[in-house]
Amino acid sequence: MASDSLLPGQPVPFPRGPVPSLGNGLYIKEGQVRASLVGVPRYEGSTLTISRVRAHPPAPNSVILGTVTRLSPSQATVSISVVDGVPLPAGEEFTGVIRTRDIRATEKDKVKIGDCFRGGDVVKGVVISLGDARSYYITTARNDLGVIFATSEAGATMEPVSWQEMRCPRTGRIEKRKCAKPENI
Amino acid sequence: MAQGSFDRRRINGPEESFPPVFDAVEEHAKIWSARRDRGDADIRPIFLQPGLISQANGSAYIETARTKLACAVYGPRQSKSTTYSEKGRLNVEVKFAPFSCTRRRAPLRDAEDRSLSVAIHRSIVSSVCLELFPKSTIDVFITIIENDGIEGCIASGSIAASAALADAGIEMLGLVASCSAVVLGDETRLDPTEEEANASDGIVIVACMPALSSITNVWESGRLTANDALKCMEMCQDRCIDIHSVIAQSLSSNNKTA
Repeated sequence: MASDSLLPGQPVPFPRGPVPSLGNGLYIKEGQVRASLVGVPRYEGSTLTISRVRAHPPAPNSVILGTVTRLSPSQATVSISVVDGVPLPAGEEFTGVIRTRDIRATEKDKVKIGDCFRGGDVVKGVVISLGDARSYYITTARNDLGVIFATSEAGATMEPVSWQEMRCPRTGRIEKRKCAKPENI
Repeated sequence: MAQGSFDRRRINGPEESFPPVFDAVEEHAKIWSARRDRGDADIRPIFLQPGLISQANGSAYIETARTKLACAVYGPRQSKSTTYSEKGRLNVEVKFAPFSCTRRRAPLRDAEDRSLSVAIHRSIVSSVCLELFPKSTIDVFITIIENDGIEGCIASGSIAASAALADAGIEMLGLVASCSAVVLGDETRLDPTEEEANASDGIVIVACMPALSSITNVWESGRLTANDALKCMEMCQDRCIDIHSVIAQSLSSNNKTA
């Protein structure tokens, strides 16, 4: 494919033959493949794509980072600020919710929100559905999901010591969280 | 200009004020004078630059002679509405700067802003792939810095909004180009100024996607025969192809710079 960038609505030139599978940024109208984004079409594997890294709304299976803003006995409300590694602009966060049954994969009936999250914790999760009109449904029921950053009551950044405990380096006190498995382990 | 109550959110000046009246020498005699700087089928030169507003996701600034406006796109961002919608929502808000017209416009919203918003929204909503953004809204804000006729603002606003959406990386079926025309007697003119529009019999504004050969919006007012209206539409469509190349050139050069 040539290195010329295309504009929305512009047809993509193809040699005669079958049309490759289309990815993001392209669409077919009346048998003609056209671009829907400004950019250069490239092959990713066997898929033709115009990729553009920009902030986009969460979608099912998106990996998100968010801050816990509100807790209730049945769910934790999260303000989503990073979607698939791309930060959202300031003031344009989306709202997500983590329900008690989605916090961990085992012992779902024994989960207590207060033992898993606190207000202000930064949480890594995966979107499982679009949810309702206000919130996306998020799960942390994987070993690598959960709290990745938390502040203790003394105000210091805590370190994870097990999958459900964090320790304050200043006071040594143990606090309970649903911890994410660090990536470098 | 006269407001019914005391506005506590602004510095209040006199209750009423009027612009100074200059001598209208030969105003009515020359209101539909022959054009000196361009032909009847010519449009005013277009300057279009995307990407000038840094905090917006996408933006565009457009000038056509004495019409100047800036457009900013924010989103897709979370919908404040409580209604669940499978498709995204596109909002267009048009605002006149108080200094944009010969007569000062109050900063408060008036009825004309609303009609411009609706016209521009209809021009561009069918070109955006809203089904890719469930539960989200895309907000388009247009500020008119200088106004030389409402028709020019609608046409330029549609062009700027389309360029800003492309600059923001929103998926679109095609770029929208828009053009206006006026009729007086047997004469037809493209891209009218305010004086020409005021003196004309009828006005036609066409917005279309030249890449797909489809029309997205037609806006007509005044007294026009069917033949005149169709002739205006065809002239506007032909001119929109030229406008589309202007948009394409500015987006391409901006993309290469980025």
